[in-house]
Amino acid sequence: MKNTERGILSQHDLKKTSNKVIYGIMVLVLVIMVFTMLYPILMTMFNGLKSNQEVNSFPPHFFPQEWHFSNLKDAMNYIDLPMFLRNTIYIFLGNMVVTLVVLGMASFSISRMNVPYKKAFYFFFLMTLFIPATSYMIPNFVNLKELGLLNQYAAFWLPAGANTFYFLLLKNFFDGLHPEIFEAARIDGASEPRSFFSIAVPLSIPIFATLAIFIFSTAWNDWFWPSLVMHSEDKYTLATAIYKYVINVKALNTNIKFAILFIVTLPPIIVFLVFQRFIMRGVSLSAVKG
Amino acid sequence: MNQTVSISENLPVKQESKPYKQNRWKKNFWGYLFLLPAIAIFIMFMWVPIFKGLLYSFYNVDFVKGNSFVGLDNYSRALTDPDVLTAVKNTLYYMVLGLAIGFWVPIAFAIAISELRKFGGFVRVAAYLPFVVPGVVLYGLWRWLYDPVGPINALIGSLGLDQVAFLTDSRWSMVSLVFMETWQQFGSGMLIYLAAVLSIPRDWYEAAEIDGAGVWARIRHITLPSLRNLIILMLILQIIATSQGYQSQLALLDGGPNNTTLTYALLIVKYAFTRLDYGTATALGMLMFIVLGGLGILQFKLNKEDN
Repeated sequence: MKNTERGILSQHDLKKTSNKVIYGIMVLVLVIMVFTMLYPILMTMFNGLKSNQEVNSFPPHFFPQEWHFSNLKDAMNYIDLPMFLRNTIYIFLGNMVVTLVVLGMASFSISRMNVPYKKAFYFFFLMTLFIPATSYMIPNFVNLKELGLLNQYAAFWLPAGANTFYFLLLKNFFDGLHPEIFEAARIDGASEPRSFFSIAVPLSIPIFATLAIFIFSTAWNDWFWPSLVMHSEDKYTLATAIYKYVINVKALNTNIKFAILFIVTLPPIIVFLVFQRFIMRGVSLSAVKG
Repeated sequence: MNQTVSISENLPVKQESKPYKQNRWKKNFWGYLFLLPAIAIFIMFMWVPIFKGLLYSFYNVDFVKGNSFVGLDNYSRALTDPDVLTAVKNTLYYMVLGLAIGFWVPIAFAIAISELRKFGGFVRVAAYLPFVVPGVVLYGLWRWLYDPVGPINALIGSLGLDQVAFLTDSRWSMVSLVFMETWQQFGSGMLIYLAAVLSIPRDWYEAAEIDGAGVWARIRHITLPSLRNLIILMLILQIIATSQGYQSQLALLDGGPNNTTLTYALLIVKYAFTRLDYGTATALGMLMFIVLGGLGILQFKLNKEDN
């Protein structure tokens, strides 16, 4: 945006009063939008640091009158957050490994290796995109149950390798690598696996990072599916535990509720602010889902 | 797993001299080996469930006594259940609200943000931030915002208007959910549109301005037509997503009040996990597939044209 001297409006347009008014209104709307976006998020944080009485006062205050940092400790004690966090991390790491190994190899094979009937294999993966996920959600659950995978991490790890969207992201990335690198390696006598592991993988760190962020946010946010697949409390993910024990529970003090919500919101916000560039690029990639 | 084996057996066997054939097999060996795990996993966790869905829609699924064939019973139960009609209506209402409240927002903001001379980066980050908030936090947060004594009602009250029971009033419940989801999701759509808006060549606007086109005329005749394909694609993506929506309806209201937020997908969930009637739930899923399957293909075709 910095390089453009003009947008839809030029400097000249902005000299007209009517355009100035419109531009002013537009800026005002954007300011209101930014406020509407940030207010609830900041409120989550501040509510978590107020006394319960203050959270429930009407009309609500923005800043706490007294800062109750002990709420954070009470929040950690209300449910076993570290255990749920550990379960979430297990699922994230397992999904990540399976995605990279299974889909990384498959997409490399389709993109760069000699496979007869490549189109047919490609279509085999792609076809699943035409079928709305919700329409086979129940048979998917029944299938996991019949395979005896319920209440096991494998019920997340193994199906992580069946993600067409990630497959396409990886394949498009490998398609963009220069074929000369692999030709040269082949001439130098590198075997196919070698050219995958020592050439393609190191070059793919950026796309792996993008995938890591996608997989992290799925593991962190998904509450419904884990609540079906995992039925013992010690295997719940963080989001599932909060859905079950925090959101719809009336007996819990509102300030502690917000302290928990704040603790859970913080990591994704930090990840987002740190990896902004990767994520913003990832968003434009997700536009070409399919 | 049997299917996997049969696929590798169907490899092309052309009539070639033996050394060449061996060589060819060796040449393709790694390619197949790299594909094998993904094929096995796609079969086991995608295609098997999809075909089981077709199969079990004709079965009474019973994990204890075993499944029994019931013909079209599940379908006739699904089609005569009055809840299904309610759910279809609610889903259509939800989709229409999603378009009316949510669809144009990211387009408008993308155009507005592209015109900002300063703070564009900050505004983008702020607009995207709610998208990072986990779903469960969203529900907890908005339950409080929508509370009869929450901040939104405080604002309404200070304007001298009557309080609104956003979630428990059946006229407002679905609207409130759509508004909440728009708050969370428009930022990601906005970024996609913004990339497209910024890629429109600046000299087109220059030329239009020289020809005397006003600001609105430039937006109408240059910006929006340039976004046309993307808008159609996003429209289809949104329709595919909202036609399957159930999570916020389930988490915040469990389909209530009076079934006003009972969507079709939520009904599938309830058939399976409340009524434990997996057969009928699967049949409802098949009906959904028949209606929505075409949309997926349409989206794919548009996407291909786009690239």
